[in-house]
Amino acid sequence: MTKKRNREAFLYILPCLIVLGLFVYYPLIMNIVYSFHSFTLSSSTKDFVGLANFRKLFSDKIILTSLMNNVLYAVISVIIQVGFGLVLAAVLEDRVFQKVSPFFRTTYFIPTLLSMTVVCLLFRFIYNPQMGLLNSFLKLVGLDGLTNIWLGKSKIAMYAVIAVSQWQSTGYVTMLFIVAIQKIPRDLYEAAEMDGAGKIRQFFCITVPQVRQMWFVTMVITVVGAFTVFNEPYILTGGGPGTSTMTLALHMYQTGVVKNDMGYASTIAMLIFLITAVLSSIQFFTFGGKEDE
Amino acid sequence: MAAKSGRRKFGPGEILWLVILTVLAVLILYPLFWIVMSSFKDYNGIFKDVWGLPEKWLFENYATAWEKGISGYFVNSLIVSAGTIFGVVLLATFAAFGICQIKSKLANICFLMILGGLLLSPQVCLLPLYMLLKNLGIKDTYFALIFPYIAFRIPVSVMLIRSFFIGIPKDLEESAIIDGASFFQIYRKIYLPLSKPIISTVVIMTAYYSWNEFIFATMFIDSTARQTIPVGLMAFSDGLMTNWGVVMAGMVIACLPITLLFILMQKSFIRGITAGSVKG
Amino acid sequence: MRLKKLAAAAAAVSFAFALSACGGSSASSDSANDNSQAADTNTEASGDQVVINFFHRWPNDPKNTMFKNLIAKYEEENPNVKINMDCILNDQYKEKIRMIVGTDEVPDIFSSWSGSFAKEMIDSGNVLDLTSVFEDDPEWADTIADVSKGPFTFDGKLMAVPWSQDGKAFFYNKRIFEENGLEVPKTWDEFINVLDKLKAAGYETPITEGLKDQWAILHYLGTMNQRMVDPEVLAADYDPATGEFTDPAYVDVLEKWQQLTSYMGEVATAIDHETARNTYFATEESPIMYLQFAEINIMKDAVNFDYGFFNFPAFSEGKGDPNALTGAPEGFMISNKAKNRDECIKFLKWLVSVDGGAVALTTEAGDLTSVKGAITAENALPAQIEALETIDSASQMAPWFDNACDASIYTVFGQGASAIASGDETPEQVMTAVQAAASELRAKQ
Repeated sequence: MTKKRNREAFLYILPCLIVLGLFVYYPLIMNIVYSFHSFTLSSSTKDFVGLANFRKLFSDKIILTSLMNNVLYAVISVIIQVGFGLVLAAVLEDRVFQKVSPFFRTTYFIPTLLSMTVVCLLFRFIYNPQMGLLNSFLKLVGLDGLTNIWLGKSKIAMYAVIAVSQWQSTGYVTMLFIVAIQKIPRDLYEAAEMDGAGKIRQFFCITVPQVRQMWFVTMVITVVGAFTVFNEPYILTGGGPGTSTMTLALHMYQTGVVKNDMGYASTIAMLIFLITAVLSSIQFFTFGGKEDE
Repeated sequence: MAAKSGRRKFGPGEILWLVILTVLAVLILYPLFWIVMSSFKDYNGIFKDVWGLPEKWLFENYATAWEKGISGYFVNSLIVSAGTIFGVVLLATFAAFGICQIKSKLANICFLMILGGLLLSPQVCLLPLYMLLKNLGIKDTYFALIFPYIAFRIPVSVMLIRSFFIGIPKDLEESAIIDGASFFQIYRKIYLPLSKPIISTVVIMTAYYSWNEFIFATMFIDSTARQTIPVGLMAFSDGLMTNWGVVMAGMVIACLPITLLFILMQKSFIRGITAGSVKG
Repeated sequence: MRLKKLAAAAAAVSFAFALSACGGSSASSDSANDNSQAADTNTEASGDQVVINFFHRWPNDPKNTMFKNLIAKYEEENPNVKINMDCILNDQYKEKIRMIVGTDEVPDIFSSWSGSFAKEMIDSGNVLDLTSVFEDDPEWADTIADVSKGPFTFDGKLMAVPWSQDGKAFFYNKRIFEENGLEVPKTWDEFINVLDKLKAAGYETPITEGLKDQWAILHYLGTMNQRMVDPEVLAADYDPATGEFTDPAYVDVLEKWQQLTSYMGEVATAIDHETARNTYFATEESPIMYLQFAEINIMKDAVNFDYGFFNFPAFSEGKGDPNALTGAPEGFMISNKAKNRDECIKFLKWLVSVDGGAVALTTEAGDLTSVKGAITAENALPAQIEALETIDSASQMAPWFDNACDASIYTVFGQGASAIASGDETPEQVMTAVQAAASELRAKQ
């Protein structure tokens, strides 16, 4: 009886598994296969090249540039989105700001709603060297010296690109923290207050330890996001000037589609996979734990 | 009590924070306000007077944007989103239901196979997926987006729905079984009606994802006639050269549906985004 | 806790699944093309209606509207024909057509650049040989400029219908040149001298360019390579099988490029070509810009001053032909998989004729048509006629860089030149990278 029931129930899961198998797992496998081959988008045959593509990873200078940029992306995103986002959430959840907090947290959340294209087009206008909002604002307040060619200098272009993500995503992470903070029992704070603990101490002794699960989750989301970032540099700079704003995902795309070297592009995809799968598995396990509670 | 209310008072620290909060809010709201303002201007209005309000309100920018291509992209996005939502809801509720019904280890194995999809970022699958869609002969059709979108939304959706299904009281189901109800009846009559809140969350999250998705939409669709709004908007802004007012009108139109959805269903939205904790 | 363990197990399972499936399915992707054909036949309309899929690279106006109007007109005259037009912009077009030309999804008619790009299309084996079309209808064939046919001829076969011609020259602001007593430079040294004088006269960016666009950079490099490097060496280097790029002349070229970018101002690396044209050249902030003749028409509303043009100056140490003009015709190819070949040919012959689209191409869209006698003083701008004369008087046409060699070479060149402009790399470093890319490309042949 149960066996028959189980079999019937399995039929309900099957379509899901098929779709996932075909469009998620199968491409992953093919990607592994591709990374050992050399072929172009239009070629009908694939030459097996063994580890040649992997060796190329180590001699390719753009890989190094991309990795550095991805790391920079991750570090800045963690500091601003996770670090500052948590502080922001704690402040918004402080009772003093009870009245205004809904307004602020909704406002901060708005950029998350916009598509990356809209955000990037907007920042094209903000960074525009002639009439851009940023430069004209700096001139307006008399900081002419700080005006810059934001996307045109290799030293600052990457920071300008990273800033776009911070603008878009900080509110999202803040919202995650707000939800986590709301779950902290109020009496913990009240007890601390009785003991005369100041707000900063409360933050470090109660808020931070209590939200560590969420802190971990947001860390992983942010870092994985940083290692797969594509849209922002693709739309804003195309990887330039030179290759100064190249990221792994963009390099993969350009190698595959522009330079028409699909095999090596798949190898770059494997590198991205290794980095992100390790990070995501960590998140995966924390999730499992959380659900069990 | 007295001590407590004393702490609630505004000190210099609170004022400082209020200033910071306000500055941050302005940093976010002003650019958005600026887009809306500029969408009513012409090129010179934007270029020569960046900060000013429109001298003449060019409402026709919106009509121009709509006619010059946004309408097509908009409809494509609607079709793709609707198809994706339908597929995700159907497959994910089915799968979550099946997982809850199986009384053996198989349930957990299946569940974890599905959750395993969370490990993968779409970027990794981009090129093989491209080849696959080409080989299936569905590249450059709506299905080229709908299928991958469904596949990449399934893990998180099943996770959300399953945890909701587990909370549904078993006695309802048991009495239905005694009445001789079939599996499908239990699914339709008990599980589906009870899980409206979580389904609406899944719908919103899926809509949000498929409306804004960019990489797949760039790679898998060639024809302008089938491009969705995030990609179409790029072509649109390239094609219009310096007609910036119209470009910005297009940007505003592109943002409207999701913004409306957020305003109308803020609670479900935030629940989805936090429970899923996976960026779209 | 239990679930955690299970999660670990599941991860393991999903990987095992991945690996076990690996062995069995690796070959299946090659069996690809058969199924897509089935899907393709759906596009064939029922009944007598003939459907032509037409793919080009001009989604922006005025060309897009021009094509729409022309097609509407043609469909009206030929009610049995339905033309499905589709288009995406330049670089994306290049990427997309590369992806689909080798497959059964290849459109019936598609636009193509000449030179190596055309060769790449032809090498896919899906392009129809049109030689007989020209031979069978000499009256029509003779109206098409010979200078346009050459770059589409491969092994003596004409593989496309040429449709437009273009060239690249320095456009200069005549008023500013007169006010400063400047003459059109013939050599590189004279050119630099002119730029210096303009700078001294207060023009901070005497020459402008949008270096964010890689193709804009490549247009310079292509011309400079052609002027500087020995033609035989250049031909060998542009060939994927023999390219080495070890000639010191390339470093000279990049040094000259570095020198040139120093006159473009810091902002150049942050803007694209159109922004440079609209907000520097058109506003008379920059007196010189390297533009295509096709841009004459785009500028007619924005530019209210007299301008002239001169060909890229000669390098005194250059080994290439100093009178060549960089530029190339563009044309349309027909897929040999097209189901209605004759209808495709008929449509193209109509499109590329004075009665069809040739005049509109120049008067409405601003490109110089390949059809002789279509442009007259009555229907065209004086600058366009002058441009046509410039093309006619050039000793030869040199192809665009990105049509002349493999993408893996020119991408490295372009990125390197961009890095030189932003001061991050030296010409020597860039050439080392190009040489590495070339040797890798050689190894693949």
